[in-house]
Amino acid sequence: MICRVLLIACLCAGFGPWLAAASQNNAASTQQRFDQLLQSAQKAREENHDDEAVQLFRRALQQRPESEEALWYLGSMLYEKEQFAAARDVLRSFLTLRSDAGPGWALLGMSEFQLRAYPRALQHLQRAMTQGMGDRKELMDSVFYHVAILLTRFERYDDSMDILQKMLASGSPDPTLVEPAGLAGLRLPYLPAEIPPDQRELITLSGKAVVALQMQRQEEADAEFKRLVATYPNEPGVHFLRAAFLSEMHPEEAMREFERELTISPSSAIARIRLAQQLITAGEFDRALSLAQQAIQLDPKRASAHMMAGEALVAKGDVANGIKELEIARGDDPSIGRVHWDLLRAYAASGRKDEASREKTEIEKIYHGTSPSHSQSLGDSSHDSQRPQ
Amino acid sequence: MSSLIPGLLISISMAASAATVPSRFDSIAKQAELARTQDRVPEAIRLYREGTQLRPSWADGWWYLGSLLYDQDRFSEASPAFQHLTNTSHRGPAYAFLGLCEYENGNYEVALRHFRAWAAAGWAGSPELVDVAVFHFALLLTRDGRFVESLYLLASIAPRLGDVPELSEGMGLASLRLHYLPEDYPPELREQIWLAGKSALYAAQSPRDFARAHEFASRLEKRYSHKPDVHYFCGTLYTFEGNTAEAEREYREELAISPHHAPSMIALATIDLDKANRVEAGELARSAIDADPSNPEAHHTLGRVLLENGDLHASLTELETAKRLAPESAGVRAHLAMVYTRLGRTQEAKSESAALLALKNKEEVMAPAKVKLGEPKERAH
Repeated sequence: MICRVLLIACLCAGFGPWLAAASQNNAASTQQRFDQLLQSAQKAREENHDDEAVQLFRRALQQRPESEEALWYLGSMLYEKEQFAAARDVLRSFLTLRSDAGPGWALLGMSEFQLRAYPRALQHLQRAMTQGMGDRKELMDSVFYHVAILLTRFERYDDSMDILQKMLASGSPDPTLVEPAGLAGLRLPYLPAEIPPDQRELITLSGKAVVALQMQRQEEADAEFKRLVATYPNEPGVHFLRAAFLSEMHPEEAMREFERELTISPSSAIARIRLAQQLITAGEFDRALSLAQQAIQLDPKRASAHMMAGEALVAKGDVANGIKELEIARGDDPSIGRVHWDLLRAYAASGRKDEASREKTEIEKIYHGTSPSHSQSLGDSSHDSQRPQ
Repeated sequence: MSSLIPGLLISISMAASAATVPSRFDSIAKQAELARTQDRVPEAIRLYREGTQLRPSWADGWWYLGSLLYDQDRFSEASPAFQHLTNTSHRGPAYAFLGLCEYENGNYEVALRHFRAWAAAGWAGSPELVDVAVFHFALLLTRDGRFVESLYLLASIAPRLGDVPELSEGMGLASLRLHYLPEDYPPELREQIWLAGKSALYAAQSPRDFARAHEFASRLEKRYSHKPDVHYFCGTLYTFEGNTAEAEREYREELAISPHHAPSMIALATIDLDKANRVEAGELARSAIDADPSNPEAHHTLGRVLLENGDLHASLTELETAKRLAPESAGVRAHLAMVYTRLGRTQEAKSESAALLALKNKEEVMAPAKVKLGEPKERAH
């Protein structure tokens, strides 16, 4: 786990130049008394007289409630002292003035995380990611980690997995990512601290398998997934995970695993979608369509369910209805490249050249500046970045 | 004479300021609106503060000041602004915002009072505000131990909001009768709350998805069959579905684990009443009263048993106790009206019938009665 004190040291050091600029802008109107208080507060902070520094920053803020510098240092010091509610309140005022300050959103989100205000924490940590945190790697790692575990808690498993994958791809194996990977892989909406003791082994085993896969260690992943299903054959999510792993190299076995998952989790929309995807590849369009339609009933807003129904219909020759389903998928989630590919081909086959051309433009926009990765999706088909077969 | 001078000075200064205030106020108000519409939030907040100080009766100013601060998550500052609106036409939504602000400030009792005032003022606000306020109101009812009311509210927004994790978490807490907020329950309860919440949420969808509700309920039972309230929850799910036999089995299993579980006794007594098993119904209702003397539903159920037995005076005593404990229970009023009618006390019967009608109308404003999770199907009349 990332050390909070280290994080703060990095934040305070990194903010110097930025705050100096803000301070200069306001220098003309700054009262002498405020300057003195601020200087004393800074000095106390540098000499590690934290309580005194906090008091002085508070007094400075009484003089000038909108001092960005005082708000920032007070907020970060309160966070460091684990006074998270007070830190949160000060940082909120700071961010009213500096809504572009990524590190400010990061610290606010972390404070809210500690206060277990998880929906806000996620929102604000994602804001930190959007605003950027410069080159503060430790801060970024911490923000990414917390966003990943919160996304899992809010049942956004595929988004969580995307972030974990990026984290794993960018560095050496990090043991702190094993449990988050296991939770996202098994689609269990808990934080690592909320894992029931009797499920920790299951989640760790799943996490090791997922991490091995994401780090392209295929043999190790294969062994871990085998061990997982052998040890926990009746746990929801286990067979789905192995099936997703097998889907490219061993499609027949993958289909059997997806079916096993459906006997354990009969209402799993995602297992139906992934099985439908396999069946389309195998040319079994009727069964694929039936599964996709069941998935739509279970989860009408899931774009990938409509995508699979559309693909199956088009493959069966019912292009008009296929296009309808694909258009629903596009409406639900316009960012899925595969839907635009499907539509491009379906429009072209129907002679709808203008619409086909529009889809081509959309595809170019989606892939502009990004090289399509060939990583294997362990979740929804929409997160499978490859073109349809 | 000299004692009048300060007063005179104050009068003069007030007269002078009265002459200058309108123009200065108008200018501030215009600048504030411009800053707000141009998304210059800190400046808009400063200007609305200034404007409301110049003219404390400026309702729109307080409204925008409160809203801007609320949007910035500055709840302790937003709350006093909304407080200024409780005697204005913005009263309804202001109570909702006050409830939300005080919830965020951790002043839960005050927040609950504001939400009750909001409900009394007609649940006013945009659909988004209503959903958020209903959700937080329900969370506070759970914290207060008013689990059925909480589920009633949460179930009313569930079909529209769909499968939202925050909603299922709230429903999980209420379903398992846990006096916690999402922010403060022990982490080891997370799995139970999630499983119960998903089950309750699917049962509250439109159309109801009992297959999925039972999938999560059976996972909950498999993992936590020995924990209090789990079988009771499964019983309410079966009751809601109309599967009385399975419901009864679950309630009895709950009593095997929690022998003093009043809600299970009441639920079993209700099933007994439907089956005309008045002896056991009476025993269970009395045991429920012993276990929880302040439970209005326990007294109500015993009142119903006694009514069925023809013991009208004893029934009246129990129903009056239930009414005192839950003045807003339409069911209690309905049975009171019946008892008064049979006793020939026509005026009191009419009065209870009128109260029943008023409560039914109020209930319909809150949410359709049919969405009341945990309310037996047969009783939803």
